[in-house]
Amino acid sequence: MLKKETPDPGAIRIAIAGQPNAGKTSLFNALTGSSRNVGNYPGVTVERRQGKYRFEGKQYDVVDLPGTYSLSSFSPEERVAQKELLDNMADVVVVVVDSTALTRSLVLLAQVIHLGANTVLALNMSDEAHAAGQFLDLDLMEELLGCPVVETEAHKRVGAQKLKSVIARAVEQPGEPRPPVLGERLSGALMSIESMLANTSVKREQRNWVACKLLLWDREFTPLVETQGEGGAEAVAQAAVLRKQIEEQTGEDISVFVAERYHGFAHGLVTETLRQRPRDDARVLSDAVDRVLVHRVLGLPFFLVVMYAIFWVTFTVGEHPMGWIENGFALLADLISANWHVDTTPALRSLVLDGVIAGVGGVVVFLPNIVLLFFGLALLEDTGYMARAAFLMDRLMHRFGLHGKSFLPMLTGFGCTVPGIMATRTLENERDRLVTMLVLPLMSCGARLPIWMLLVPAFFAPSMRAPMLGIIYLFGVVLALTLALLLRKTVLKGEEAPFVMELPPYRVPTLRAMLTKMMERSWLYIRKAGTVILGISILMWFVTSYPKADAHDIDAQIAADRATSQEEKGSIVAALNLKESFAGRLSIAIEPVFKPLGFDWKLVMGMIGSFAAKEVFVAQMGIVHSLGESGGRSESLREDLSRNYSSLAGVSLILFLLIATPCMATVAVTRRESGKWKWAALQFFGLTVLAYFISLVVFQGGLLLGFG
Amino acid sequence: MAKKNGDQEVKLTASLEDYLETILQLTRARPVARIKDIARARDVKAGSVSAAMKRLESLGLIRYERNEYIELTVEGARRAQKVLSRHLVLTSFFEEILDMPAGEAEAEACAMEHHLSDAAMDKFVRFFEFLRTCPGAPSNFLELFHGCRRLDGEAECGFHCSDPACIDDAWQKNRTTINALEHGQEGTVMHVGTAPAIRQRLLDMGILPGVKVKMERRAPGGDPVWIRIEGYQLSLRREEAEGVAVEV
Repeated sequence: MLKKETPDPGAIRIAIAGQPNAGKTSLFNALTGSSRNVGNYPGVTVERRQGKYRFEGKQYDVVDLPGTYSLSSFSPEERVAQKELLDNMADVVVVVVDSTALTRSLVLLAQVIHLGANTVLALNMSDEAHAAGQFLDLDLMEELLGCPVVETEAHKRVGAQKLKSVIARAVEQPGEPRPPVLGERLSGALMSIESMLANTSVKREQRNWVACKLLLWDREFTPLVETQGEGGAEAVAQAAVLRKQIEEQTGEDISVFVAERYHGFAHGLVTETLRQRPRDDARVLSDAVDRVLVHRVLGLPFFLVVMYAIFWVTFTVGEHPMGWIENGFALLADLISANWHVDTTPALRSLVLDGVIAGVGGVVVFLPNIVLLFFGLALLEDTGYMARAAFLMDRLMHRFGLHGKSFLPMLTGFGCTVPGIMATRTLENERDRLVTMLVLPLMSCGARLPIWMLLVPAFFAPSMRAPMLGIIYLFGVVLALTLALLLRKTVLKGEEAPFVMELPPYRVPTLRAMLTKMMERSWLYIRKAGTVILGISILMWFVTSYPKADAHDIDAQIAADRATSQEEKGSIVAALNLKESFAGRLSIAIEPVFKPLGFDWKLVMGMIGSFAAKEVFVAQMGIVHSLGESGGRSESLREDLSRNYSSLAGVSLILFLLIATPCMATVAVTRRESGKWKWAALQFFGLTVLAYFISLVVFQGGLLLGFG
Repeated sequence: MAKKNGDQEVKLTASLEDYLETILQLTRARPVARIKDIARARDVKAGSVSAAMKRLESLGLIRYERNEYIELTVEGARRAQKVLSRHLVLTSFFEEILDMPAGEAEAEACAMEHHLSDAAMDKFVRFFEFLRTCPGAPSNFLELFHGCRRLDGEAECGFHCSDPACIDDAWQKNRTTINALEHGQEGTVMHVGTAPAIRQRLLDMGILPGVKVKMERRAPGGDPVWIRIEGYQLSLRREEAEGVAVEV
């Protein structure tokens, strides 16, 4: 189903490393154009992007490493980046740095060089640095580093050609990067540890780096090396002794000491090569904007306006293309059904009409939302406002174990869970992402609104309807936040990830960069999640269509009901077929399970249908509704519901529909975004079990208290 | 200002303080301590030791990985040293000055070392250390001691006091944390001490000793904070900002 990545064995392998916000992905896009493949690293939600390009007749495979501030081993991103660099040593590693925050960015360069990679340095955002009056002596920098240095403006694709030719040169004549000067004390310690690694399987060029990791008591390397025979254990012991020595002599923690050495190297490099310092007022404009946009009083209202605007564009504007898509598919279905007689291969006709076309339609219909939302997200991210939004919202969200950036995905969830879950990509930390994703279906989505429109008036007096609707939404939010907190304490507990976040200056985004992001996400959705949704659609079609009701039964029923009009006959046939289908049989079979919640098989049937899409519940109820015992069918579905079920059962039903079984598109997208079926399954079954218990308690409690 | 020093540090429970003390004593003999050594020394189960170790690790006071070796971080060693020296001082105070039997002195010290307030304890310890150890102390040492406590530096102290407790205090006069900086106030980073993962990220982001930070603003509710550092700007949660000591 998925396109298999086929690495060309003869291709030259390039890895791009860089800190978040350095423009790494823009540079990747500038290099590879449109040929790329986005997936996940196995088992983690960390994204893996791969692409290729040809240059001077040679094939280059490019992998974009996750953005990391350094190569430590605390976050999954850092571990992945480090592993990729150590295990699949690329022919050339391009380190992308933000020219406007040079010293900090060059620390990563120092580490990549230290790790023994054939390095090329790309000084990105050079236009911005020049505009601020910062100029560097690039020749001197090349000489000091021993590796090529190129200035790039990745978002405008400036410098990509130059970079390609520099990479080509670096492949033919690997530079001799000079190991970063880390000071005598540290270098001496590293050499002494390194010498003990000689008898282990640690690669020669990586030994100095591994020695440094041991000195830092790295949680990945220490246990790994320790088991590597005599030499490994010795090296670990030696590292412990030296660490203690250094800490006693300097009075600093080892991690501080090592970080200072790296920063010292970076700082020295910048000082030596800086021909002209950037003006101090380079950020004045951005700071002035911040004084308004994150103002103590004005900040929050502005934030809410921005959020509302994005929500409005995504869903209100998105409604129109959604309507066109729905009409288009309806038109297509009409066209086919008109030209394909009911009696020629009826099963295939039904499969095409109700399975495939409905399924593809069900996939495509989300596209307008996704396209628009990701355009909005790209705008927020590329201008730099996203970091401000996270800054403003973090206190509130953090109380519930979430992150400031969880706010927008959760808000999007009120429109539709699917783009909401896709929007969790904006969260850097894996655990933040998972928690947000898992509780997102509790935000009552737009597709559930028709259900509330049907059920609330059926069970509540007119004066109670508006407050009830409010309570439903609020209950979802409260439950989502409670659950988030609970997940943090149980399944996703663990050391808190750092929040420390950069607030980049405001930037004018380029349309191309935003469109690229948007298209990439949309395409990813269609290819990866879409296929799963289509598959489940066809399965859903099958279980609700087969087996067909006995023609004899239908005749008998129609006769008994003395139905006259053709229309009524049709609806009875549909209802009986549904009752006889696998889904109908299943509903009847599991009816006893749901009896204590106040549901009968018809409601269960509707819920099974709502797995395809939440609003299908209404349609399914419409079909089974025509199976009434009485002859009078004039009453509406709503009246039928309020007559057949108590208000208490109504509340129980509403709660169940709010909490339980996220729709199949949600399941598919959760699977795709989290990288594991495990999380999709936890979400699906966890929420369903929770819904069952809440409805059970409400219904049985209500009965005991004498309601209903 | 002296009170602020107390605020900077997470208050440890008596039992955690005892663990730190034990690790310090054990690691004097060899570079690292093991869970079972600690369990034996404190006569508790290994399980409760690991729980305490996890807590201490999350506070950035020890290094504790799945390999069972445990070692104090610089900050941990400092805290452990503090507890241990209090213990020793109190014991000898009861023994030497109050002339109590050794066993009783030990027991009293154990109870007191955790329960006295930080400020009271510090003063007490300093006073006693001063009495015993200040070699150049002239006969009017009481007055001098008070002078020293006012933290006005050695000029008013009248003699060069080499007691680290004394120097420490004078030095800490202007110490606070990033979180306590006021709007627009600048400070120089002195010490970065939080859980390892957070500390590493802070260091990666350039928050190193000697670097100047300036408080720009706070989010509604005071958390997170927004700081400026060497030409770029960062946002930190309150608990992260509390882990960074700065000198104003």
